[in-house]
Amino acid sequence: MTVAPQVRRALVVEDDVDIRGLLVQVLTREGFEVSEAATAREGLEKARAGADLITLDLNLPDGDGVEVCREVRTFSDAYILMITARTDEIERLTGLETGADDYISKPFSPRELVARIKSLFRRQSRQAEADVVNADDRLRAAEVQQNLLPRDQLTLEDYELAGRFRPSRSVGGDFYDWYGTRDGLHLTVADAMGKGMGAALIAATVRATMRSVAAQPSIETAFATAARATEADLDQNDSFVTLFHGRLHAATGTVSYVDAGHGLALHVAADGGVTRLPSAGPPVGAWPDQTWSPGTAILQPGDSLAIVSDGLMDIYETVAQFTDAVAGVVTAMGSADAACAALLALADVPEVADDVTVVVLRRFPI
Amino acid sequence: MEFSTEDKGSYTEVSATGRLNMVAAPRLREIVGDVVSAGGKRIVVNLAGTSFMDSSGLGALIGCLKLARQSGGDLRIAAAQPQVTMVLELTSMHRVLTPHRTPEEAFAGE
Repeated sequence: MTVAPQVRRALVVEDDVDIRGLLVQVLTREGFEVSEAATAREGLEKARAGADLITLDLNLPDGDGVEVCREVRTFSDAYILMITARTDEIERLTGLETGADDYISKPFSPRELVARIKSLFRRQSRQAEADVVNADDRLRAAEVQQNLLPRDQLTLEDYELAGRFRPSRSVGGDFYDWYGTRDGLHLTVADAMGKGMGAALIAATVRATMRSVAAQPSIETAFATAARATEADLDQNDSFVTLFHGRLHAATGTVSYVDAGHGLALHVAADGGVTRLPSAGPPVGAWPDQTWSPGTAILQPGDSLAIVSDGLMDIYETVAQFTDAVAGVVTAMGSADAACAALLALADVPEVADDVTVVVLRRFPI
Repeated sequence: MEFSTEDKGSYTEVSATGRLNMVAAPRLREIVGDVVSAGGKRIVVNLAGTSFMDSSGLGALIGCLKLARQSGGDLRIAAAQPQVTMVLELTSMHRVLTPHRTPEEAFAGE
């Protein structure tokens, strides 16, 4: 990937109207496309929309700039210039791991500001070469992860199946997988702790381990074997993974499943009624010596099974609200694919900072 | 996220205020690690001010619990807010990390 010359975007987070105006003016003159925010909340929202440079006031009416800065760092690589009212604050700030790239104190002259920004971007261009290599790596990793998702349309009489995965960064800790079996299919939805490359590596390992137990006839034994095989690796990395693993017997509509700390699989009946399938124990790797009992759900004609990752939970206050919203979408949509698209669209809001995965299995009505 | 630590006599209280996410998680581990290194056996994490916890935050609490247990102590959580309780219940981790109503109750009667 090459860094194409494009419009650089700046975000000014500052509650003082005059200073904000000055910053906007200076940055616009420097060729930035500038957006502005007067509060921490608004600033975070706009930062999620994307920015190359963020000027961030330390004292915002609704929050601490240091907190905002740390938060922005969880999803953005923007250059962050912190602005404080006191010179002595800078000393304190540089001692903290705020994630900011530079500091400037008020009052500042436009010339000083421009000099800082130019120096920030000079530093950036020196780093550009290394960044291009890293970006190539990230792009390749994202491709690999997308290719690990099931691509074949599973043709199973009387059923349709669809899935979507949207990582919060280039790669993520979620995955879904499915494959056909003699009498139906197996499907897995998992969410490794955290985000980004580390979580993605764990996810790939878990996917392979779950596939390796496909031939074991008992779902309970298969799951326990896979869990034991993964636990040591997870423990070594202080990580865990929530897992939903289901096996469909197509002729009867019976889904046997094991849920390890996932808790977000919903059985949506043809009439819109919904049952959440509770988890049978903690996530794999979270706590030693766990066992997970399998459960059963029966898909009648017209019923669906929707499994969602917790990224979508970020927009709901309660599990009940989440359950109703997902059931509503699944019932309203004409196909599993349309339901997945609509569920992912729900998550397309600034509040959702996590990876999002949805899988919908639907049994056609008679 | 802001952390504060207070010696309450029979236990050490670690208060966590803000969002317990990927950024705050390593700092919580560090703070609880310091308490354990200093010989603290009973730790209560006061979550009254924790408005949000993600999987990394949950991972940090689990890591801290393991650390406390390994050194012969224990860690409990108190005053969990609705979102935190929801995450604990969805993941079934409330069976291991059972939220207590108040920090005082966490080790009461032991």
